[in-house]
Amino acid sequence: MRIPPFLRRPSANRTLAGILVAIVVLMSALNPQRFPTTGNFISMAYQLPIVAFLSIGMMVTMLSGGINLAIIATANFTGIVTVLVLRAVAGEAADQAGIGVALLAMGGGLAAALAIGAVMGWLIAYVEVPAILATLAMMTLLNGVNLVITKGYTLSGFPEFLLGIGNGTLWVIPIPFLILIAVVGLLAVLLNRTRTGLSLYLLGSNPIAAAYSNVPVRAVLVRDYVVSSAFAALTAFIMMGQLNSVKANYAESYLLVSVLACFLGGVDPFGGAGSLSGMVLAVVILQVVSTGVNLLRMDPFFIQAMWGFIILALIAATFLGGRLQERRRLRAARATQQGAERPSGDARATVE
Amino acid sequence: MLRRLLRHNETYLVLLIVALCAAIAVANPRFLSYENVSGFLKSCSMIGIMAVGALFVLILAGSPDVSFTAIAQVVEYAIAVATLRWGGNIYVALLAAAAMGVLLGLVNGVIIHSFRVPTIIVTIATFNIYFGMLYVITAGKLINVVHPMFRAFGNTLLFPQTSPIGGTYGFSLMSLVWLAAVVLGWFILRRTFLGRGVFAIGGNETAAERMGIDTRRTRLFVFGFVGLLSGVAAVVHLSIVQSVVPNIIVGKELEVIAAVVLGGASVFGGKGTLTGTVLGVLLFAILNNGLTLLNFSSYWYNVTIGVVITVAITNSAYQQLRHQRSRVHVKVEA
Repeated sequence: MRIPPFLRRPSANRTLAGILVAIVVLMSALNPQRFPTTGNFISMAYQLPIVAFLSIGMMVTMLSGGINLAIIATANFTGIVTVLVLRAVAGEAADQAGIGVALLAMGGGLAAALAIGAVMGWLIAYVEVPAILATLAMMTLLNGVNLVITKGYTLSGFPEFLLGIGNGTLWVIPIPFLILIAVVGLLAVLLNRTRTGLSLYLLGSNPIAAAYSNVPVRAVLVRDYVVSSAFAALTAFIMMGQLNSVKANYAESYLLVSVLACFLGGVDPFGGAGSLSGMVLAVVILQVVSTGVNLLRMDPFFIQAMWGFIILALIAATFLGGRLQERRRLRAARATQQGAERPSGDARATVE
Repeated sequence: MLRRLLRHNETYLVLLIVALCAAIAVANPRFLSYENVSGFLKSCSMIGIMAVGALFVLILAGSPDVSFTAIAQVVEYAIAVATLRWGGNIYVALLAAAAMGVLLGLVNGVIIHSFRVPTIIVTIATFNIYFGMLYVITAGKLINVVHPMFRAFGNTLLFPQTSPIGGTYGFSLMSLVWLAAVVLGWFILRRTFLGRGVFAIGGNETAAERMGIDTRRTRLFVFGFVGLLSGVAAVVHLSIVQSVVPNIIVGKELEVIAAVVLGGASVFGGKGTLTGTVLGVLLFAILNNGLTLLNFSSYWYNVTIGVVITVAITNSAYQQLRHQRSRVHVKVEA
């Protein structure tokens, strides 16, 4: 049997796929009536895109060695701007508005998100503000603006078209899931096949080398944050469709989850490394785990603690795995050296 | 002299604070009264104590600790329950809180040192574990009545005054605890070998190791110290509010880190001052207090904070950029 290429390339993906299969089997065994059902898998396909888009938006900034703490605030801001445009155009009858008006409103929201991304990118690339600060400041600012606009209320009443994006199905497949597949495909092309994508990886692993290799470092960084914000906007549209409302502080707890997903997916927080396929696997794992434990009716706070234990276990496993690999490499090196002079001193001292 | 002053981030912060104070005082003269100033110095003492710890981690690791609020939350709950059950006095409570904090902080230190992972990732994990387990064990129950000694401790005033309407006000003992934490932090950072080690590791860990600095001991010390400060901050908070809401402290971590970073601590490690940290905390406290005095709706609080952070970090990044340009000229052919 041929192994599909996304499992062949980075060996970490094979581990992730293994973990995924193990967890699905475990959850099915623990909860045979409710977990392995078509209905459950379809409901997971509805929920997956929100976490996935946020995590991928986080990932693209991590590839450049940055982070986007404002991603959730941007998503909420997008939703709120969309509603404002919708109400400005359609007035009281916002929930009766047609596709044209809905698209116009979404265009307004998207434009707002892209502008936010451009401002953050500009601060990071041209003023050289560290990414964690620029995005932290933007997060605080947007959270404030969101509150000022909504006064803490929930805004609701959206047209059919917007609800369809979050809830609709094509045959039996949820529309948000189809959007996820299409967008991941697009992003894969962008990251692996275009100049911008390759520049992004280069810039993440060594910005000085990138600058000397004629990479327009600053422009690429700005584009990076614009793309990240575009993912925030996508999340916003799907959330609006599913919840039929926007609020100043929806989904705030997903911020840490998206960082966790990047870590699980093997993205290097210092930049330059991380594959989209790994990310997708990581997000699916997180979704299966959280749906699985939810179905087992566990205490949500216990689940939160469990995420912590999972990160720590992962850290330990990565560390021990690295140790093992190192030892194997040393042994191999020593084997090829056989006959020549014996390696002197402690083997560990030669690495680092 | 002026030029040297202008190179320091602290100078800009002082200017910003003075300008803000002047503006608020013009709009509402009560702002600069002894009653109001001592009041907001008391209310920001918990954040101030935590900020000292956050500064240590940022200098050491160049990556923020986000778990200290969860540590403080756990300690606060445990101390409130323990003193209700077994009594005791405030010194024992402080000691126990500090010890518990050290223990929880050391967990971070041990994991970070032995597995060599970024601080932020480990502390996200421990944050979730501490906070999650606190809710699992306590079921999120509020504690409305705490041991009376906390009230006595929290209401202790130095230089008390009686206001015309009958209440007393004055410089709170809580602010003194904050001051003590700052002085202790300054002493360790600036006057001990351990403190030099913290800066050295933050600047370049390999170089620090080669110099003979015990990175393990230093790292464990820093995370233990953060835990200790969180424990003390928990008692201070408990003494001020005299009740326990098990999610009141968590969520403040970004504000604390923002204050420290505003104070000029580098997010790449190896740089930061206690003066800057105190100024950063004061700036937030003044903004918060000023907006209240000027009758702004609380919705505007985050917007103002966001604008101030943006201005301050943009300015400090810009100063650094100019400083670099004036010293080295590297031309990259485009």
